[in-house]
Amino acid sequence: MRYVRLLALFLKSNLLMELEYRANFVAQAALGVLWAGVTFVSVTVFFTQTDALGGWTYEQTLVIVALSVLIEGGIQLLLQPNVDKIIQMVREGTMDFVLTKPVNSQFLATLRYARYSGLADMSAGVAIMLLAFIRLGYAPEPIALAQFAVMLAASFVIVYSIWLLMATLSFWFVKIDNLTELFRALFDTARFPVTTFSGLVRIALTFVLPIAFMTTFPAEAVLGKLGGATLIAAVALAGFLFAFSAWCWRRAVLSYSSASS
Amino acid sequence: MGSLRAFVARKYRTVKAVDDVSFDIEAGEMVGFLGPNGAGKTTTLKVLSGLLYPTSGTATVLGFTPHKREPAYLKQFTLVMGQKQQLLWDLPAIETFLINQAIYEIPRDQYAATLKELDQLLDLGPLLKKQVRKLSLGERMKCELAAALLHRPKVLFLDEPTIGLDVTMQVRIRDFIAEYNRRHGATVILTSHYMADVTALCDRIIVIDKGKVLYDGNFRALIERVAPYKILKLQFEQPVACEQLAAFGDIASCDGMTAVLHVPRSQAAEAAARLLTQVEVDDVNFEDPPVEDIIREVFAGRVAGLGTAHEQTPAVNPAGAG
Repeated sequence: MRYVRLLALFLKSNLLMELEYRANFVAQAALGVLWAGVTFVSVTVFFTQTDALGGWTYEQTLVIVALSVLIEGGIQLLLQPNVDKIIQMVREGTMDFVLTKPVNSQFLATLRYARYSGLADMSAGVAIMLLAFIRLGYAPEPIALAQFAVMLAASFVIVYSIWLLMATLSFWFVKIDNLTELFRALFDTARFPVTTFSGLVRIALTFVLPIAFMTTFPAEAVLGKLGGATLIAAVALAGFLFAFSAWCWRRAVLSYSSASS
Repeated sequence: MGSLRAFVARKYRTVKAVDDVSFDIEAGEMVGFLGPNGAGKTTTLKVLSGLLYPTSGTATVLGFTPHKREPAYLKQFTLVMGQKQQLLWDLPAIETFLINQAIYEIPRDQYAATLKELDQLLDLGPLLKKQVRKLSLGERMKCELAAALLHRPKVLFLDEPTIGLDVTMQVRIRDFIAEYNRRHGATVILTSHYMADVTALCDRIIVIDKGKVLYDGNFRALIERVAPYKILKLQFEQPVACEQLAAFGDIASCDGMTAVLHVPRSQAAEAAARLLTQVEVDDVNFEDPPVEDIIREVFAGRVAGLGTAHEQTPAVNPAGAG
């Protein structure tokens, strides 16, 4: 309850901060929608040459594109600002103020900031998904929707955990801005069905950097094609990654050396 | 080349930031940590506030082990660092205050009362509604202090709270800390390399250098010991014979028109009175030896037998510290 109140307070203070710099907010929101458009167009162009990609039709692939844009928006909204801030705080030593506060430090460090322009990306993601449904003439069954909700939550938890893991590395290596760039580059693969890729790459995208769990499997869920085993695997993976990243965070905090006064 | 080598093959070596720094501080005491840059003052504060985990030895504050970072402990101290700020840069300070209120779970009426008191002591008034980035350094420091004290901590760790401030603002902050200590009986541990901060606030000082305690004890006692004299500065109407002055104290310098004498503290008043009757003096001035010089003596190791002189630590009455 206390954490819910804190979260509401954080969201309010972030909103005030965004309002301080309106031009920046508008530019970032526009940029987000523009990128969503570019992603959409590039996949559409792709399908002028082929009818299917890894067994997925154009409309089905659009659902995956929608999810990648949606998650990209989520990263923009929450993960990028907080992880950037963590890296900065570790380097400058202001993490002192986070670690001396009587609240869970992971909560305070990872949910403190928000960049609302990410909501523009997320809306674009929803729009692309609706477009795909309209073109398909498809409405998901309640069971598919329920599965989708679980898979989407798992997807966000997996992405959050991976970002948290990247953030913890900053406690040891201090400057790791490039690592988040690397993630975003790899995340570009998330706009295609994982079945597009073959062999080792596909295995890597499923198990090493589990991008398949972020977009392909939730898309299968909403399209009513998801197997029960994948659902269980997604929930288990999300739970494991979250616990593991939280454990790493606690270890990292112990080795925090702060910067001098 | 050195940086390039460090990039490829980085060597790590263990640096003892603090080594055998032992002390006890009573509730309500105001203690000053003195030491040059890199002495280990900040490291000691970080251990006490639970940020650093001591590789050996123990720290106990208010009965808690700091590095366990139990919420019950975190709620009872505060950390203010002159070089780092917790206020949100783009928003008015009051926004940070509200977040701290929620984080520390400060009841609404207590928050209002504390804010009112801090406003009265620090003159926050209009500052709270201005974006922090638009405040001057001094104004910002006032708000930083207020943000750090909203939860009425019992222990204050102040790391160079006056750094970079002009003299007036330094005095202002100093007075505030003294007043806060007097009103709430809070324990204050202060680091600074501005000697004036420490002399004005703390009866007890702990001098640290290269991670070791060089002196721990009453500040006045240290002065008595290192510099048991007062400095008497004289200016004469007519040239005087320097030898004549030897009767009043040790002659540090003398050029006939001016002279500087070192007079034992106990005899200072009497020596000055005698001097005024026997010599035509234009101006006379008593001074304490500069604290910087005294501390330099301690650092230079020229003060024998000081060491970690715990037995010299007197009971300090915080009320008298202001």
